[in-house]
Amino acid sequence: MSLLKVAGLRKSFAGIRAVDDLSFSIEAGSVTALIGPNGSGKSTTIDCISGFTKADAGRVTLAGRDITGAPAHAVAAAGLVRTFQNVRVYERFSLRDNLRMAAGGTAAAKPWHLLRSARRIPAIALIDEYIERVGLKTYREAPAAILSYGQRKLLALAAALISRPAIVVLDEPLAGVNPSVIRDLSNLLDGLKAERQTIVLIEHHIPFVMRHCDHVVVLEAGRKLMEGTPASVQADERVMRAYLGSATSDVAGEKAA
Amino acid sequence: MTALAASFKERAPQRYALVALGIAAAFAVVAAPVLAPNTYIIKIGIMTLIFAGLAQAFNLIYGFAGQLSFAQTGFWGIGAYVSAIGSQRLGLSPWVCLMIAPVLCLAFSGLVGIPALRVSRAAFVIVTLALTLLLQLVARNWTEVTRGPMGIPGLPPLSISIPGVAELDGANPFHFYWIALLLIAPLLMVLYAIMATRTGKILLAVNQDEALARSQGIDVVSWQLFAFAVSGAACGLIGALYAFHLSIIEPGIFDMYYTQMLLIIVIAGGAGHFWSVLGASLVFTALPELLRITPEWRLVAFGVLLAVIILAMPRGFGGFLEDRRLRQWRRRM
Amino acid sequence: MDFSLLGQLLINGLILGAIYALVAVGLSLIFGVLEIVNFAHGQIFALGAFAMVALSNFLGLPYIAGVAASGLLIAIVGWLLYEGLLQHLKSGEFERGIILTLAIGMVVQNTLLATVGATPRYIDFPELYSRFEFAGMGIEQLRLTAAVIALVVLGGVWWLLMHTRFGMAMRALAQNPLAATIVGMNPKRVAGHAVILGMGLTGLAGASLAPLFTVHPLLGVSLLFKAFAIVIIGGLGHIPGAAVAALIVGLAESFAGGLGSTVLQDVAVFALMIVLLQVKPLGLFGRGARI
Repeated sequence: MSLLKVAGLRKSFAGIRAVDDLSFSIEAGSVTALIGPNGSGKSTTIDCISGFTKADAGRVTLAGRDITGAPAHAVAAAGLVRTFQNVRVYERFSLRDNLRMAAGGTAAAKPWHLLRSARRIPAIALIDEYIERVGLKTYREAPAAILSYGQRKLLALAAALISRPAIVVLDEPLAGVNPSVIRDLSNLLDGLKAERQTIVLIEHHIPFVMRHCDHVVVLEAGRKLMEGTPASVQADERVMRAYLGSATSDVAGEKAA
Repeated sequence: MTALAASFKERAPQRYALVALGIAAAFAVVAAPVLAPNTYIIKIGIMTLIFAGLAQAFNLIYGFAGQLSFAQTGFWGIGAYVSAIGSQRLGLSPWVCLMIAPVLCLAFSGLVGIPALRVSRAAFVIVTLALTLLLQLVARNWTEVTRGPMGIPGLPPLSISIPGVAELDGANPFHFYWIALLLIAPLLMVLYAIMATRTGKILLAVNQDEALARSQGIDVVSWQLFAFAVSGAACGLIGALYAFHLSIIEPGIFDMYYTQMLLIIVIAGGAGHFWSVLGASLVFTALPELLRITPEWRLVAFGVLLAVIILAMPRGFGGFLEDRRLRQWRRRM
Repeated sequence: MDFSLLGQLLINGLILGAIYALVAVGLSLIFGVLEIVNFAHGQIFALGAFAMVALSNFLGLPYIAGVAASGLLIAIVGWLLYEGLLQHLKSGEFERGIILTLAIGMVVQNTLLATVGATPRYIDFPELYSRFEFAGMGIEQLRLTAAVIALVVLGGVWWLLMHTRFGMAMRALAQNPLAATIVGMNPKRVAGHAVILGMGLTGLAGASLAPLFTVHPLLGVSLLFKAFAIVIIGGLGHIPGAAVAALIVGLAESFAGGLGSTVLQDVAVFALMIVLLQVKPLGLFGRGARI
């Protein structure tokens, strides 16, 4: 039984179809990559799924529950948490407060929820555990503003994971980070896989995708080009053509990174 | 660990000084009517209390929730008119008026906040401004109820009379100061409790990064509405109190002047910081009075100052302190 | 039904609408191009009226010349304000723009109060107080003149935006700042033009309407409510939208004038604004794109 099911998703901006009749499903405990050249609709797809944009048509179900058109906070409460391509953290908050917000967010969806969830304030031990997990222990009381870009990505990842979501969507976690952080992220992902955390990964870094993913969905111009195991995708010449034909900038971008 | 302990020890004398200063300040605030040499000074004290409360209410919606609202002046005017119409024309007890005002403002904040917050920041600003402008027009033109520009004079005094315990005559400014303190101090405590705990953290989070907060399960609009409503109710209460101080209410209560004062206090103090805004309300209400500058030139100076601050250090004194803390962290890491 | 009364209400409403459009157009233009809600709008309007007082009462300029000169004068003020202050704002700093313009308004208003004082001033144009009468209806020539100026100004702005390089640059910047920069536009220059034009129009509005009111530093405040409501109803930054909204508000006010009180009119305008925000969040004509 698949955990997340996307069926017939469509979204247009000013007449341009960003996502066009897209369907795929994510198995529980799997690591699925969503790949494709720039502008192929990956970001729009997760914006639609996570409730940041309203899709024009289609259905999204999470663990059998219809979350189509649900607002972002409700999607998070249903157990789907996402990160952002341009890393987002609360700069003025300490790392601990960043994770405190992330851990307690769904229990404080609306102000009056605090009245009944007062006892569910996240334990400091849990917060420190997640800070340690991403290797930022020394900074735990420092404001996030002093972190480097890569460290922020790690913090954002810890924040996404601390609420133990049913499914976590990582939007280009590797973009703009240096090799040592890539190594850290790789180790983290191994740990998560051992815990059978369901992960959706949007990533350009093909070796990373091939190493970690069980399943790959390839998008091109808002449509699904193909899906399958990493090996079958890598062997498919349509995928090669999609990447080389329309997105030389991607290759250049990867070299720069 | 030892380094941390050492740094704490180093700071200990500073902390004692701060505590001593706090106790002295609290004593001065409570004993002001005894210490004040004349009515002029004690009236400045009353205005400082009123602006301190108003500024924190504005700080909650603008500094914490990050929504620039021009309706706070409207709410405070509603409060003042509730007192005036209720006590003078309907014969209600002043204390009943003080209870009605925040409730009415709560209703108004929902009426305006629910549609405006859902749309955009720009719409929120303009709708809240339009509300205040509308209220002023209504106060001016609905003469049957508000007596128009003539205003409603002769409000009864807001007095406390508990035989054997307290006898405070609201018509006496020295007594009125204590009555005001009795209302403003608990209000400030409630606002502080909201700002300094998890509620304040959530509002600041929403303010810093709305998208991130949403992705973590926060229903952003409901939190903004909460801050708007609490702030509106507080402004209504303070307006109702202020009416009994003035004892005459006219449409000028909705003047932009009050919004301008709140903006300069909160922005110079540092939006989203309780203590520096509290300090700023003292600086900007008491100081100009004591220096006896005419109101017009004072506002010209405030306008210039506001422009300079918003261009040069938009996060005010509180932001300056925060940046200093950040630099210390950077050095340490 | 009395047709001459109906006609009179219609004419009054159209003229009122034209006047409101004149008051709102500068506000809408500046928001459209810079995304700055000009909170000094009321004070700039009052400044225009004061310029008119100075030019007509002391220099003896005739009406039209006074209006044009006042508009020009306030446009220069707009240029100074842009060069000195507004150009330092970055895009997306919405609140800072409001607070900065509000500070400008504070300084302008209180300097006026402190120097020229709060005593109302009058402008006399005896030749403009005659009334046209026809078929039982009448119009004051002054109001008609103001309405004609409004039409000319709105038409002029429309032509400027649609048919000149100057105006098209503003539209381009409003609709897609990034693309505008890529094709080699200097966004600061274009934004500066918009502020000069927008403030100039606001000053011109203040000057042309000055004889209708008594002129004092708080003159703009009473018109501000309508101006902001119109800008929201028409769609923020949407100039034709603002013009149509102004006509609607003017007509509604004129026809409701016989029926309800002025309080009810203002409340009705506010209610319209709130309801519209729910049904069409971008205003009557807003489609996301501005101007």
